[in-house]
Amino acid sequence: MQSPAAGGVDERLAQQIERIIVTRVENDTLTLPAMPAVAAKVLTLLHSSDFSMREIAALIETDPMVAAQVIKSANSAALATREPTRNIGQAVARLGAQKLRGVLIEVSSRRLFESRDKRILDAARRLWEHSRAVAVLAQDVSVVVGIEEPEVAYLGGLLHDVGKPIVATMLLEAESQIAQRAALGGWIDSEVWTSVVQRTHRRVGLVVARKWQLPDDVVAAIEQCDEYDAGSRRSCGNAVRFANAIAKREGFYVGSVQAEDNDALIMLGKSLLGVTDEVLGRVIAGLRSRAKDLMS
Amino acid sequence: MQRVLTVDDSRAIRLIVTKNLTELGCEVDEAEDGNEGLAKLKSGKYDLVLLDVTMPNLDGPSMLTRMRERGDSTPVLMLTSESKTSIVAALIRLGIEDYVLKPFKPEELRAKVTKALKLATVTQAVAAAGAPEPAPAPAPSPPPQPAATNNGPSKEGATVSAKGKVDVLVIDDMENVHKKLKSILPSSLGVDGCLNAGEGLALARVRSYRMVLVDSEIPDVNVATYIKQMRILQPNATCLGMALRGAPTLSQEMRELGFDDVLTKPFTPEVIDSLIEQHFAGADESIVREDNVLRICAFHGREDRAERHYAKLSRALKDAIEALGEACYDEAILDAVLLPTFNVVRASQFIAEAVAMSGKIGVALRLVASPEVEKALRGFEETKGLRCFGTLAQARAMLAA
Repeated sequence: MQSPAAGGVDERLAQQIERIIVTRVENDTLTLPAMPAVAAKVLTLLHSSDFSMREIAALIETDPMVAAQVIKSANSAALATREPTRNIGQAVARLGAQKLRGVLIEVSSRRLFESRDKRILDAARRLWEHSRAVAVLAQDVSVVVGIEEPEVAYLGGLLHDVGKPIVATMLLEAESQIAQRAALGGWIDSEVWTSVVQRTHRRVGLVVARKWQLPDDVVAAIEQCDEYDAGSRRSCGNAVRFANAIAKREGFYVGSVQAEDNDALIMLGKSLLGVTDEVLGRVIAGLRSRAKDLMS
Repeated sequence: MQRVLTVDDSRAIRLIVTKNLTELGCEVDEAEDGNEGLAKLKSGKYDLVLLDVTMPNLDGPSMLTRMRERGDSTPVLMLTSESKTSIVAALIRLGIEDYVLKPFKPEELRAKVTKALKLATVTQAVAAAGAPEPAPAPAPSPPPQPAATNNGPSKEGATVSAKGKVDVLVIDDMENVHKKLKSILPSSLGVDGCLNAGEGLALARVRSYRMVLVDSEIPDVNVATYIKQMRILQPNATCLGMALRGAPTLSQEMRELGFDDVLTKPFTPEVIDSLIEQHFAGADESIVREDNVLRICAFHGREDRAERHYAKLSRALKDAIEALGEACYDEAILDAVLLPTFNVVRASQFIAEAVAMSGKIGVALRLVASPEVEKALRGFEETKGLRCFGTLAQARAMLAA
């Protein structure tokens, strides 16, 4: 059992690390992963007023992984027509600018959850699964309650925890540098880890979102999903917050969950968003039926 | 009559609550703050308390704490503008049924009060019987998944059932469309009709359908958004857009809107037949074998299609009976309750065919069939001695004996 003194040291350590990260965020000196080059170029093009889908298709073709994901999305059940497409140009035309933007952001953020470090590899993958679950739930809830632009809720859900793997990686790098110099083993207690990640991931995630020049409404959804906004009930931020709680209750989560806090979020969210138990059951059933796709 | 206590410092809220719950058939009492609420609870018995958080003298959480401390387990539903998670979590730890955030719609209040009062009724009945209190009701289960082989509904579930399973939901603002569809679709299919999109969504929230037919030109509705909502609420249903026959690209246009396909108007019997065959006839399964029971699947077509159905049954029958022989069964049950009986003689001929086939490989067949079929069977030499039962359970019991 840890002594009160040791607990005090851990808390001070957590606060110190948090201060370092926050200072770097505020000074814009945080080293952050860049968006894959092709995705960044295409998104820049899509922001501009004149672009041709042909030009966009040609760019996408230069990155096989991005190209594969674009074709997969164009052939998904949601857009299925009689003939599947194997051609980037057709896929881009079928998706349209808005959906294509969503696919590119998703492909880019997927990479953030792939860690080479064995210590967090499994947790990072499960965090991606959780993020996909929240995205799907947030989108579906937005559709059934009539929130405009459910795609924004989807992206907000996908990226609401994007800061976590970044902070975790920073802690690992810091730990290995110090360990090399001092020939020590790991020096950060797991509780400190969790505390630092929990306290800082949202701020880091927002920095990523702004650096990647994500649409303002997506950034707002990530920023606002910490607390419910009772003044703007049917907002994407509220949908993401609600979806996060549902995903945790349904087991799509890595880490411990405070059951009563989570139940509180669900109870509040149902009233805030106007979601009945029957509708919630359908939405959850929809998520379960897509569970095996969440890891892709 | 169920008694509800509303505790709120706002007279307007108390009036709204009293009005709505009185209309639900409840007797409603009022208190202005937590102290008055506790006093009322001490002097009277209530089935439910509606409780505000912020009140003078004694606030909601404090009142709830004192209630629980003195052993009062009256169900409580929070009715408040407080939206801090930490406060709600603390209330959940004290034990609350649900939460209604102000401002609220009357429908939400009524739905949650109705649900809470039903729970209260169950809890009281169990307590009166001396049994331990039941666990809180779990989240509602998702709509039932269709069987991997779609055998169609059982005879009992073929019409609108109390369990909320109906086959088809039709949403069209023209009444004649509903009349026409109901006249063409087989009577064994349950059909719900709505004249507007809102009613359609309301039904889709509480029932499960196998097919949803939506007019592609419903007034004042963005059909693409509507079908997205419908798909989430009915994840297992086939969604077809109804549109006037016209351009050859109509099917493609409907798919781009989000439908699975198009159902063209005006409806023709051939198109409806094809629809039934594709979605309800259980294209591949006409006889299902479960151990030594052969169950004839339901037929949803029209009378003039019955002979085609019998031809399919005969093809399936041979394989099914051979499977009985390969499994070394001496006796088997043929459940023919769902055999189409437009022509009872034809039904009897089919059964005679089954008896002959099974006799050749040494499997004795017992039959479950309707009384009219049983009567017709008496007229055939091959089947007059056939043992016939009214239900599968009876047939099983006889085999087991």
